Amino acid sequence: MADVTSSQQRSDTTGKPEIDRNALAIALHKKSRRFGAYFWIPMVWLIIVAIACIFAPFWGLPPADEIDWSYIQSPPVEGHPLGTDNLGRDLLSRIIWGGRVSLTVGFAAPFIGVGLGMILGMIAGYYRGWADEVIGILIDAWLAIPGLVILLLFSVVFGGSIFMVCVSLGLLFIPTAARITRAATLNYAGREFVLAAKAMGASDFRILRKEVFPNIIWPLVAFILIDIPIAIVIEGSLSFLGLSVKAPTPSWGGIIAEGREVLSTMPHIAMYPTIVMFLTVLSFNLVGDAIRRRLADVREGAI
Amino acid sequence: MGEIILDVRDQKTAFFTARGMAQAVDGVSFTLERGKTLGVVGESGSGKSVLSRSIMRLLPGNAVVPGESKVILNGRDLTRMSEKELRRLRGPEMAIIFQDPMTSLNPVLTIGKQIMEVLTFHMGMKKRDARAKAVDLLKAVGLPQPDVRVDQYPHQLSGGMRQRVAIAIAIACEPDLLIADEPTTALDVTVQAEILDLLQRMVRERNMAMILITHDMGVVAGRCDEVAVMYAGRIVEKAPVRDLFHKTRMPYTAALLSSIPKVTDPPHRKLDAIEGRPPDIINPPPGCPFAPRCKYAEPACDAGKPALEGGARHQWACIKPLGEEVAA
Repeated sequence: MADVTSSQQRSDTTGKPEIDRNALAIALHKKSRRFGAYFWIPMVWLIIVAIACIFAPFWGLPPADEIDWSYIQSPPVEGHPLGTDNLGRDLLSRIIWGGRVSLTVGFAAPFIGVGLGMILGMIAGYYRGWADEVIGILIDAWLAIPGLVILLLFSVVFGGSIFMVCVSLGLLFIPTAARITRAATLNYAGREFVLAAKAMGASDFRILRKEVFPNIIWPLVAFILIDIPIAIVIEGSLSFLGLSVKAPTPSWGGIIAEGREVLSTMPHIAMYPTIVMFLTVLSFNLVGDAIRRRLADVREGAI
Repeated sequence: MGEIILDVRDQKTAFFTARGMAQAVDGVSFTLERGKTLGVVGESGSGKSVLSRSIMRLLPGNAVVPGESKVILNGRDLTRMSEKELRRLRGPEMAIIFQDPMTSLNPVLTIGKQIMEVLTFHMGMKKRDARAKAVDLLKAVGLPQPDVRVDQYPHQLSGGMRQRVAIAIAIACEPDLLIADEPTTALDVTVQAEILDLLQRMVRERNMAMILITHDMGVVAGRCDEVAVMYAGRIVEKAPVRDLFHKTRMPYTAALLSSIPKVTDPPHRKLDAIEGRPPDIINPPPGCPFAPRCKYAEPACDAGKPALEGGARHQWACIKPLGEEVAA
């Protein structure tokens, strides 16, 4: 009791520094929880790219495949802020329209892959037994086929459809997503709250949906964040090789490939899409990292 | 005689293990009336929890239950039911409260959502009604500020509060049978009495039947109508609570009772621990399972497993029960 009063007196006499010290600690804590410049600068870039691509038809740009005969292979001039390509098509317009392809693939492929992988992983991790065995063997078999072969096969069979590019890329994400989900599901399926839910009459599907899913969603969100830039890069590589969307439709990799032919005389044609793609992928990585770190923090705080 | 809610007949539960069959529950029979509380007492590994899961039919895949075992709840045999039929009974007719409320609540859902889940599923309630009912339930189990707590996560609650939430979930659908599997073991001693009082009040108010599983003789003392003492998967003595404490017949029960330290004991008195360890349930001894540790054991004890004998009120499984000369 004596200690308490004495410390109170002390804090009374030196009241102000005490408060300041707490305020400093609180401020430091808040600062450590805030997203820094490494998050916001790339985030702003991504928002610009996303708005530019989503609202592409409304910017009053010349159509991506319109040829301007007076400016062929032109450096930036009035009317063509980034210049024109080999055939006199507006480069800015082509980059923006090409971004639609890249972003569509970048988001759709991980969602397709993680969606399917999650279903397989949850079944394997929850039911164990023969379902686990079969899914495990299927995934091992799938991993034994080189990813490039699958991508080539899809582009040969379904040539040029953007949906099929998303599916073929998504298929490549299934094994990892399934393994992550299976491990996380195993961790939670044996918990007592699952038994408690069962004791209150919940079916297996209900348990997976209401008890297991909310617990395993965060590692999968983190996985999607990693996969988005990977998918954009792979799509870029594919279209550079001419294996993605068909020719008149612009895509970043495609523009770079066309610019490669005149790299020595007109380097800007290949340079601009490369810079845009580089910044976009880097931004996705930085933003993804920041969010993943925050997710990890939140999880630690909650449990 | 009240209405019989639960009738367990010759329940046997064994598990396949790497070493062989482990007979966790070995022929347990009892009945339970509405409004009554049965205490089940025993050491760790005596089969108490397996018995509770056998009643709920929540056994893992490697469990084996023979056909002659029956669990009759409200006149229907649970052992004959499909998983789908059982699901409809779990919640509205029988519910269980687990030992550790840290793990029996989902950490990433608010407690309100976890209660509402049961209400929307079994009672077909609308989300809004379910929420109102969840707040009512939280109030009924004595959670302070129920309208604030309903939106909180389990980690924001203390252990005692979490157990109250677990009780709220269990009684949400007004079950006829409530199984409390060591509901206070993971709690602070000061909270234990509150939770037990709460359980007792719920049973009385809602006219349920309760099985209170514990390893603490003190827990059953004031709160049960009848007590069954389990040892190595068998009920070795069953009696109204007063008789069990004052007219103990089974040496094992007597040993359990004398191992409790008393306030009146002189300081530094050595505790009367029971010598030895519970028998191996994979290779049980041929005779009375308690014989190797029993002070009164004689060669005849190893001859065969003693059956429960005695009257309707007080039964014991011992060929040489204590206090025989008094009774005679």
